[in-house]
Amino acid sequence: MNGPGRLVVRRILLPLAGVACVLAFWQATLSWYRLPPIVLPSPWAVATTLAELVRTVAFWRDVGVSLFEFVCGYLIGVVLGVALGLLMGEWRHFRMAATPAVESLRFVVPFAWIPLTILWFGTSYVGKVLLVAYAVFFVMVVSTTRAVAQVEPTLSRVGTMLGMNPWRLAWQVHLRAAAPMLASAARAAAAIGWIAVVAAEYIGASAGLGLMITNAATSLTTSVVIGGMIVIGIVGAGVSAAIGALSRAWLDYR
Amino acid sequence: MPTTPDSIAANADERLPPRMVAWLFGIAGTAVALLAWIVLSRLLAHGGGVINRLPGPLAVVRELVQYAGNDLVHDLLASLHVFAIGWIVGAASAALVGLVLGRAQHLGNIFLPIVEAIRPVSSIAWVPLSIVWFGFGLTSKVFLVGLAVFLVVVVYAVDGSRRVPHDLERTATMLGMSGWQRFRSLVLPGTLSEVLIGSRVALMSGWGTVIVAELVAADSGLGAHLIGVEQSYDVPAVMATMICFAVTGFAMNTAFTFAERRLLPWRHDREREDR
Repeated sequence: MNGPGRLVVRRILLPLAGVACVLAFWQATLSWYRLPPIVLPSPWAVATTLAELVRTVAFWRDVGVSLFEFVCGYLIGVVLGVALGLLMGEWRHFRMAATPAVESLRFVVPFAWIPLTILWFGTSYVGKVLLVAYAVFFVMVVSTTRAVAQVEPTLSRVGTMLGMNPWRLAWQVHLRAAAPMLASAARAAAAIGWIAVVAAEYIGASAGLGLMITNAATSLTTSVVIGGMIVIGIVGAGVSAAIGALSRAWLDYR
Repeated sequence: MPTTPDSIAANADERLPPRMVAWLFGIAGTAVALLAWIVLSRLLAHGGGVINRLPGPLAVVRELVQYAGNDLVHDLLASLHVFAIGWIVGAASAALVGLVLGRAQHLGNIFLPIVEAIRPVSSIAWVPLSIVWFGFGLTSKVFLVGLAVFLVVVVYAVDGSRRVPHDLERTATMLGMSGWQRFRSLVLPGTLSEVLIGSRVALMSGWGTVIVAELVAADSGLGAHLIGVEQSYDVPAVMATMICFAVTGFAMNTAFTFAERRLLPWRHDREREDR
């Protein structure tokens, strides 16, 4: 077989065979153990449930709420995180002073904040937005500080020689040199932020994908639970791909 | 002599060893952060009705001491129990699956894309399904933690099983090693050391999953305590429990990083460069 043909087999046919294997195993488990749909619905049932879900308004409202909370929190977290990270990377004494506080808060994982955000903000959007911002903020602070500290010293010297003041040097040289590392950190932060939204919605929310699947779980409509998980995965992958595409478009001078 | 912060800093830099300076600034920064917390708590206390919205650090410490004298050890052991079983099961199965999928090329081509498709769906998304399947209790939490750890470690295991250095491979051929010998002395050690690294990386995601699973199921462990004090609007106790989670996570991370440095000294230098 020639080169491209083999590639098609390897990249498309074999993975499809894998998916078929998993689906067949799923269906076979069902038929063999005669599992009721409450425990495990058939792949076909999940697919039809998903098809019905996307035709309802409530579903799109849940997706919209979750995405809205995510996007607001994400933007706040990235902007503040990069700002503080830049400050920490540029100003050595500030870095020394802020490191203990940042490092100890970093270990208070976002999930542990969920009950407190519910006490403070109830089941409203605000709590989730702040939770996502918190999750994203610490990823960005740590990676921005590291990226700025690793910028090629020659660049800084060239900037100083051209008469840039420290602010311009930080803004126009260091931040741009660190941009590729920031872009990959921004993608990782998106995955963490998205899952923080879902987790927060499990525990206290008035709408959203997390609430949708916990409600489905308590009413034992397992096909909706699995359908919802698939949607959470797709949205997460979509968000990550969008941020990757945006950062590539933005960084195309490389 | 002017006493602006910068001039103090410059003077300090000249006189003191650099580590000392870092310590001094760290202490000063922490003091400022604590002061900001106290001021904020004074401003915000009793914000909405009877609830103490933001207790000061002292109230939280008092609560922490009280909890430590009561149920802390019991709850912490329950959480760690779940975590340890899930972590070991997850890492071991990831090592096995990674080894098989990484070495058997066709199986890898067939099933690795599926692993890759499941990976972005964080283990957190499995919480409701796991409760439907296994109910509240140990099994569902162990499943979730195991899944979280598996999804992280499997990547390291596949990577480790494939990345046998080329010259070692050639040396092995030259020495006439059999397939089994090659597996035992080249592939297996490489894979296991990567699995060890992956298990350290997976610590935090596994611990985060324990938190969420316990918050949702709320039947035992630190997470159940957290939900309990949240439902009685006890903000100082909520913050004290959060600190317990953080300290435990930090301790596990530190211990494992130390162990890893001892076990895999050659990897440590590379890790540091990667960061």
